[in-house]
Amino acid sequence: MSIFSFFRSTPKASAVQAKERLQIVMAHERVGRTGPDYLPMLQQELLAVIAKYVDIDENKVEVKLDRGGDCSTLEVNIELPGRDAVRKPAASTPSAKPAAGAKPAGAKPAETRTGDSKPSENRNAPSVGSVLTNGGVSKRH
Amino acid sequence: MGKIIVMTSGKGGVGKTTSSAAFATGLALRGFKTVVIDFDVGLRNLDLVMGCERRVVFDFINVINGEAKLHQALIKDKRVDNLFILPTSQTRDKDALTKDGVERILADLEKDFDYIVCDSPAGIERGALMALYFADHAVIVTNPEVSSVRDSDRILGVLNAKSRRAEQGLEPVTQRLLLTRYDPERVERGEMLKVDDVLEILAIPLLGVVPESQAVLRASNIGMPVILDEKSNAGLAYMDAVSRFLGEDVEHRFVKPEKKGLFGRFLRRSA
Ligand SMILES: Nc1ncnc2c1ncn2[C@@H]1O[C@H](COP(=O)(O)OP(=O)(O)OP(=O)(O)O)[C@@H](O)[C@H]1O
Ligand SMILES: [Mg+2]
Repeated sequence: MSIFSFFRSTPKASAVQAKERLQIVMAHERVGRTGPDYLPMLQQELLAVIAKYVDIDENKVEVKLDRGGDCSTLEVNIELPGRDAVRKPAASTPSAKPAAGAKPAGAKPAETRTGDSKPSENRNAPSVGSVLTNGGVSKRH
Repeated sequence: MGKIIVMTSGKGGVGKTTSSAAFATGLALRGFKTVVIDFDVGLRNLDLVMGCERRVVFDFINVINGEAKLHQALIKDKRVDNLFILPTSQTRDKDALTKDGVERILADLEKDFDYIVCDSPAGIERGALMALYFADHAVIVTNPEVSSVRDSDRILGVLNAKSRRAEQGLEPVTQRLLLTRYDPERVERGEMLKVDDVLEILAIPLLGVVPESQAVLRASNIGMPVILDEKSNAGLAYMDAVSRFLGEDVEHRFVKPEKKGLFGRFLRRSA
């Protein structure tokens, strides 16, 4: 084995990564092409529900989407005001799971995940995490 | 009635004009009366690739606006019988392409020609939409590279939704892949998407694979469609693609690295 083959034997050939990335992103784009884009609406309604129970600052809301092959995660992180924030479980929304037993600091968002997507890094502010999953790769024909 | 073929890609610079020139020339060589139209309004280039830039008097837009007759704007190729070029305007913008105007001219050309090859501009804006709207057949020109593949998928979506055939619920535009600038050696090294990968992702039939080739630049330098360079791999690959388009069963070449023996190194074919 030469020193060159050491450099060449990266974990995955770049072409393989290219293919995987394309398959994932295009599966989502094809779905989005036919169906309406419901994500913005969903986010708004989710926030509206949470706002019924806690006082949230619009600027402290972080929405992250990670499109994966087997599942996608929609993560809504909402920084809650102070200790005095009133928290009641928002039982009426199926996909919104408020963090249980909110700690003042260092609490991780409550998350439900399936598939192989990586858990997010720790967050420092108390937050409400919400997760949406959907099905995987679909073909055109 | 002639058939309308669009060469389209979404992404720019992948080889639509090169392929339009080659394909139209190939169809004419096979005996079909063919015209190739430049839809890239404002960025006229097909004339250079076809080597007729000094003979352009009127253009596509002049004809649409009634400033010239169609036969005045058509340029007859000097090398190949049955081959005509309809250049585009260099000064106007894409808004000059009206749907009615394009339809009128294509309808006239259909009466007289077997094939009408439309060289689409990049993007999914007006120029590209007009180039594909009336098509019967689409050739999707794609490079083995992530952004090109994704854009090809986008343009397939546009063909399925916004072409005349889609809008009128007619039989869909046929869609075939022309994979260009393919480098079998880089594929072998795992640095480039394989033909099969691209086919699996785009899920359309393969019309041909055109290798990355220095002959393409040489040909465009002298204003000759590369298909006329019968010694070049790219020229042969285009010839094969034309045959397949006409329904012939031709095996794919140039998808594996060429074996370079000692002899081959000296006698390297002009790739
Ligand atoms: N098989 C090939 N091998 C090497 N170079 C190529 C090949 N095909 C095309 N090229 C080069 O790629 C460049 C772009 O080609 P071309 O103009 O045909 O692309 P295009 O898709 O028409 O671009 P645009 O979107 O700007 O209209 C040119 O310089 C051409 O010489
Ligand atoms: Mg072009």
